[in-house]
Amino acid sequence: MRRLISLSLLLIVALGISLCFSGAYFGAEGANRAGKLAQDRVNFGQRYNSRGLEENGAGNIVASVVVNYRGFDTLGEVTVLFIAAVGLAVVLSTRREKPARVRAEPASLVVFTGCRFLFPLILLLGSYIFIHGHLTPGGGFQGGAVVASGFLLVYLGCRGKGLRSAGFTVTESLSGLAFVVLALVGLAVGGSLLLNFLPKGSALTLFSGGVIPIIYVAIGLKVGSELGSIIANLSGEAP
Amino acid sequence: MVSPILLIAVPLGLAFITPLLGLARKGAPRYVPAVAMLFNLLVSVSLLPDALRAPIVVRTAGWAPPFSIHLVAGPLGLLLSSLIALIGLLVAVYGMDYIREGATTRYHVLSILILVGATGVVLTGDVFNLFVFFEILCISSYALVAYWGDSASVEAGAKYLIQGAIGSSFVLIGIGLLYGAFGALSMADIAANVSSVSSFRLFVSLAFLITGFGVEAAVFPLNAWLPDAHSSAPSSISAILSGIAIKAGIYAVARVVYTIYGAQSILPFVALLSVATLLIGEMCAFSQNDIKRLLAYSSIGQMGLIVFGLAMASATGVSAALFVVISHALAKALLFLASGYMILRTGSREVSSLNGMGTRMPLTSLCFTVGAFSLVGLPPFVGFASKFMIVRAALETADTFFVVLLAIALIGTVIEGAYFLRIVQGLYFKPAPQQAREETRKEPPLSALVPVGVLAALIVAVGLYPGLVERALGAAANDLLDRDSYVQNVMGD
Amino acid sequence: MSLLSPSIHYVGCFSLVLIGLYVVLVKPNLIKVIIGINLMDTGVNLFLVTVGYIQGGTAPIFSEAARQPEGMVDPVPQALVLTAIVIGVSVLALALALTIRVYGHYGTLDLRKIKGLRW
Repeated sequence: MRRLISLSLLLIVALGISLCFSGAYFGAEGANRAGKLAQDRVNFGQRYNSRGLEENGAGNIVASVVVNYRGFDTLGEVTVLFIAAVGLAVVLSTRREKPARVRAEPASLVVFTGCRFLFPLILLLGSYIFIHGHLTPGGGFQGGAVVASGFLLVYLGCRGKGLRSAGFTVTESLSGLAFVVLALVGLAVGGSLLLNFLPKGSALTLFSGGVIPIIYVAIGLKVGSELGSIIANLSGEAP
Repeated sequence: MVSPILLIAVPLGLAFITPLLGLARKGAPRYVPAVAMLFNLLVSVSLLPDALRAPIVVRTAGWAPPFSIHLVAGPLGLLLSSLIALIGLLVAVYGMDYIREGATTRYHVLSILILVGATGVVLTGDVFNLFVFFEILCISSYALVAYWGDSASVEAGAKYLIQGAIGSSFVLIGIGLLYGAFGALSMADIAANVSSVSSFRLFVSLAFLITGFGVEAAVFPLNAWLPDAHSSAPSSISAILSGIAIKAGIYAVARVVYTIYGAQSILPFVALLSVATLLIGEMCAFSQNDIKRLLAYSSIGQMGLIVFGLAMASATGVSAALFVVISHALAKALLFLASGYMILRTGSREVSSLNGMGTRMPLTSLCFTVGAFSLVGLPPFVGFASKFMIVRAALETADTFFVVLLAIALIGTVIEGAYFLRIVQGLYFKPAPQQAREETRKEPPLSALVPVGVLAALIVAVGLYPGLVERALGAAANDLLDRDSYVQNVMGD
Repeated sequence: MSLLSPSIHYVGCFSLVLIGLYVVLVKPNLIKVIIGINLMDTGVNLFLVTVGYIQGGTAPIFSEAARQPEGMVDPVPQALVLTAIVIGVSVLALALALTIRVYGHYGTLDLRKIKGLRW
């Protein structure tokens, strides 16, 4: 009963807050911004939608926003994930009480073979998603998450096949470095970090968008290996 | 001219390859933070004269400011980033020998990233980017607080993480509200249009942003995490957290309040909170027996003083607050670094275990005393100059409200004097405990003595010649207060 | 209902945020607290997407050249949410690692019993 009362109270508060912020002058729909929609000078979203294709050559406007217009955020975001992977290893590595080694029942032949069969396919799907990030929904983060799910499947289905964490370390360092170096090349070529300095290609084909697909591949590899190393650390396989 | 964006990009690249270096050569990673911060210090200091003339606006991705993220390396940003790089460099040198156990490579990676986060916070000109760098700062400090892995540090880390995560959700709501109301994320763009939105909506988003950033800034009702986190972390990290991380939080609050909103009307309330913060911090510090907890509470007190200066909203007040930022960063980093090796040698964090250290570790104790006297505000140290400036600023406002608050704040300073003098008295005039360990007679290695000595020398030097920083302080205060020229510099017309 | 219909998404987001906040403040179990933080994150992300939504709008992706930019939703909040999700995941991973360690030290997840430091 108490719970019911407090939850309904919360609902009322939520209603109150949201009533303040709905209405004609809020959000992309608000009349205030709708009035400015035509002006590219004022409205971000509208400007990106109408000019993004010619400026960056990528069909997926969200990809241009993520990698180009707000690419600096993405650099920070990749760093946050890197911190999580490193920090998780720090927190778990000082553990004195080793996790009790439960002798895991080996998976049946069907599960084991199925996982080994699916693993490369999942990696392929993940790579497809991040390579085509500038054309279709998805991108580096989504593709990286799919790749990491492949590692999770190996952990769940193929007990005893340890995940090698040195490989993850190398991949994540190199792909992170690739991102920073690509950004710095933009600075060296055109005087501004993350500049899209490559030719834009013909729109809506795989080879378009300048540096966007290249950066997305780096992000995909980095996210995949970081989430993979998080899984390896949490599963206790890594040292 | 080098671009200020290198201050972020280069240390970030170094942080990414540090694990590889660690795989190749075991001892290599410990030099990386020092290299990164030396680079940052050189670049920041070399850019400072340019920025004093006119802020350097750096665009990313090649688009003019409102349409992509941009950095604003003004006097304030570069002054703080120089301070961050200086403290970071000294702490990195200290950490080379201090951190011997645990995952050392990862420690060095995270210690670079925490400083990158702070540098990004002070340089960015975009609200959401501010949030991202803020998260870099916070998440790496959650992990570093739990570095030793004993029960206290893990618990402190979890506690810090929970409060910090709620704070960042609040910040994100505030940013969402701003984007909904203005359709813009650039601080200058929002500041230029701020009058077009009803004041109630502005107030709600401002409240969310202040609450969110206030958690990291440790302003009174939101600072429950600070004593545990700062006292359980390794001493080198405590120095960064106390010297830099909370300053980044207060910078974010000040930027939001002054530059984005120009909200002068909430300042009396903030001034009340600041004096409450100061008194509570100093009184809790007075009753502590644990030296690191005492220093952590004293940080809360000093934060109160900084916020008090900022709340005056006059040029002198804000420059005084920034002066306290500098003096507190130097002194508190010194105290944490010096006490780190004292704790290591005595094996105890009790204040009484420091008794008699004055003859056993004379150099460290001397530097510790310099730091303590500076925090209390004794001349000729920098703490005196900064506190004097606060007093001058409060009297200059000629507002009874601020003068009364100043009187209360000075009572806090008296309490501060009481507990620091008690420690110093113990250092020199009390006999060492009977069972004192023999190794307490050994001074720390050179890699620790040099940073501590440099900090002590800086405290005396800036204290004797405050003119060294005063010009930069005035320009920085102007950078924070003068919204119109900020907008003009960024938007370009 | 006509009063509510334009703001119904906002009601949903803020309800999620407040339920999360309630869980964080009230529940004594560390895992539940983390779930609460996650609920708050979800609510905030939903709020950000909602801010950029246009009634009947389409995804901002040019799948064929003939598409017109009119009627596409605002792409910026979607990019922001991507960042916010990744940050939320990072915090979650770190929180779970700390929880494992806290459990190792104290043998319990009940916050009322974890009192090595003063809460």
